[in-house]
Amino acid sequence: MMEKHIWILGDSPLVEEYTALFVQHEFETRVRINPEGAVSRVPLGARQFVESEQITSAVLELTALSQETKRKNLVLLDDIVPFHIPILSASVTATVAEQASWLKYPSRLIGIGAFPTLLDSGTIELVQSPTTGNPARVAAEQLVAMLEMHVALVEDSVGLVMPRILCSLINEACFALAEQLAEPEDIDTAMKLGTNYPCGPFEWAERIGAKHVLAVMKALHRFYEEDRYRSAPLLQMAALRNMSLRKMNG
Amino acid sequence: MIKSIGIVGAGTMGSGIAEVAALAGIATVLTDTSEPTLTAARERIAQSIKRAVGKKRVSASEAEEANARITLTPSLADLTACDLVVEAIIEDEQVKRDLFRQLDRMLAPHAILGSNTSSLSITALASATQRPDKVVGIHFFNPVPLMKLVEVVQGRHTSNDTALEAFELAQRLGKTAVLCKDTPGFIVNRIARPFYGEALRLLGEGVASAEQIDYIVKTEGGFKMGPFELMDLIGIDVNYAVTKSVYEQFAHEPRFRPHAIQKQMVDAGTLGRKAGRGFFDYAGAGPNPPKAQS
Repeated sequence: MMEKHIWILGDSPLVEEYTALFVQHEFETRVRINPEGAVSRVPLGARQFVESEQITSAVLELTALSQETKRKNLVLLDDIVPFHIPILSASVTATVAEQASWLKYPSRLIGIGAFPTLLDSGTIELVQSPTTGNPARVAAEQLVAMLEMHVALVEDSVGLVMPRILCSLINEACFALAEQLAEPEDIDTAMKLGTNYPCGPFEWAERIGAKHVLAVMKALHRFYEEDRYRSAPLLQMAALRNMSLRKMNG
Repeated sequence: MIKSIGIVGAGTMGSGIAEVAALAGIATVLTDTSEPTLTAARERIAQSIKRAVGKKRVSASEAEEANARITLTPSLADLTACDLVVEAIIEDEQVKRDLFRQLDRMLAPHAILGSNTSSLSITALASATQRPDKVVGIHFFNPVPLMKLVEVVQGRHTSNDTALEAFELAQRLGKTAVLCKDTPGFIVNRIARPFYGEALRLLGEGVASAEQIDYIVKTEGGFKMGPFELMDLIGIDVNYAVTKSVYEQFAHEPRFRPHAIQKQMVDAGTLGRKAGRGFFDYAGAGPNPPKAQS
């Protein structure tokens, strides 16, 4: 059984969400939130990660907003963490294959569908790229089991399954809102009552944050080079201004 | 204030609208050119109201009164006294325009023409009449007695008074009404497109199987149904037709481009539950339940 030591690096609010889960499961948790994150305090129950720290059992790299920061974090971890320790990296805005190309020890890298709000669900998407070694996959599955969650193993692709579907829905709702199709509350109501969605697109956007939705759409656009994935101008504006999408139609 | 409603088309949607209108105390005339369809509608409505009594949503006397409020007739001429006529016929623009042209000549000047279309332009339908200000989309969802939503669609020339009357009527029928502009797919059929479209692309790219995608969407996203079981339920042909319609009306906007997998399934006749086979197999022991993976 894996020891309960974990390092978590990345963006807010993902780091806070994952830290809470690991702390709840009695992991000794070391944390570092990226400087561009909105919150810089170390979450309750965790301690600040320092580079000279002792060996850990696994590392989570949860950066999705900046490719440059993600790359820096991964290269650093690859340097300072022994090569047999698995690195689970948020792979919603970059493929595992792309991230693996930055590392000296790519076989330890496995993708994780880390995305705000989805942790409540009980399922985590894991991504095994051709470069991922079996020991990393087994360790990642063991880690997810220790968190009492289920694994859905999917192939390497930007956006994975749930974040890609969810962000595309929100992006479409943003185009519709900009065209003044209806009030945002009415769009939420219509999607919940007309299709039995658990939340309306703007309710989701509120919880996820416009920046994360935009990061996924931009990553899909970059990866596929298709107009289909261009992000709605309203979404871009909301992310830039750090504003709620619901307040953007006035 | 709308006191009498006429409904053209006695299929599932038309009979559902007639049922909720009659239960709301409104005199209702349901018409269809097919006598067998009318007979089936009478039976469907009576059974549905009976179920509502069984579930104590309606009292026995209310049920009796509601049934008595519905007139079924094969003649359009019986609609002339109605304050509102809603069409729920085949989803074909030309057929609907012809009907509206005919109704426009027959109805009183104050009468409103409503369309239950799920994706056709209200503005285009209104242009067949001399009263475009009194033409409005009143889009119910299937099954009408159970689904709470009504999209009230304001066409380019629909007056605010007409939209408001339709909105208030939907509320009188016990529905939650949302007002929207006349753009392809309105709210639901437009914003839901990526739910199916991205799922199909994920399947086509081999990122995950249909079972896996449904499993993830339900367990990770909290949806009651995954995109593939939902397409099977709706009918893959119906879903494909809506996607195609929205795509064409949006001048081939790539976000709405239909997927080749869906077209191939339509061509193959694997249309979902109604065909016994779609993304999942429904023959024999029933559908293959999406499997958990751990």
